Amino acid sequence: MIDVLFVALAFFAITGATSMLLYKSPIYAALGLLICVISIGGLFALLSASFMFMVQIIVYAGAIMTLLLFILMYLNIDEEDLPEEPNRNFLIGVGIAVMLPINALILDTIAKMPQADMSVVEEGFGGVKEIGVLLYNDWIIPLELISILILIAVIGSVVLAKKRKAKELN
Amino acid sequence: MTSLLGYATVSMILFSIGAIGVISRRNIFVIYMSIELMLNAINLFLVTFARYHLNMDGHVISMIVVAIAAAEAAIFLSVIILLFRSKGKLDTDIFTELKQEVE
Repeated sequence: MIDVLFVALAFFAITGATSMLLYKSPIYAALGLLICVISIGGLFALLSASFMFMVQIIVYAGAIMTLLLFILMYLNIDEEDLPEEPNRNFLIGVGIAVMLPINALILDTIAKMPQADMSVVEEGFGGVKEIGVLLYNDWIIPLELISILILIAVIGSVVLAKKRKAKELN
Repeated sequence: MTSLLGYATVSMILFSIGAIGVISRRNIFVIYMSIELMLNAINLFLVTFARYHLNMDGHVISMIVVAIAAAEAAIFLSVIILLFRSKGKLDTDIFTELKQEVE
């Protein structure tokens, strides 16, 4: 059963990513990436990371991708606004030729590692309580730094929004 | 199928598709989505190895990566909106404008 779920989720993730790579229109690409992100959330659930599954669905699919789709619809991009990509297929071929040896090297290394049982852990792994205990004990300084980073991002986006208005008045 | 190698294969394929997207496409939105895809693939790798070692530090690191991706989304998309309004196109060449405004 878990094998079937894994194969289905991996298939949807890779199909969504490929459609993101190949579609010319950015809104279809964003929908493909949305499918991919939700499938990766399902893979997190199979790895018994229930908190990361929630974060992936709520923050990634719910907030980041929705913001992206909202902005794509808000800008109302026409066909002629899209850039021409004359040598796209050639560059995809070059990219595959570059990435294949790296993939082969890394996967060969991982295949030589001792294989462990990756079945679903029953309890005490990956839930909200365990993550919270770990986050507020061992990872308290990175957590505070992340909050400062998000504060800087909020200030930055406010500054960018303000600058545009000043420009329009000029 | 659900072994370490299976999950590693999926995340390496997704990372490669993201890298190929950054190399080959010129649409700035698709490049942004490719960066997000690479971050997601790295998250999958981190969670896979967290399960492999039964150690939850990987979950915390991937949560931090999600927070950084959210901060990046806010800044990146507002810069794209500003540049699209002033230039009217979505080519990656619009980002060369950022260099001249500094001088």
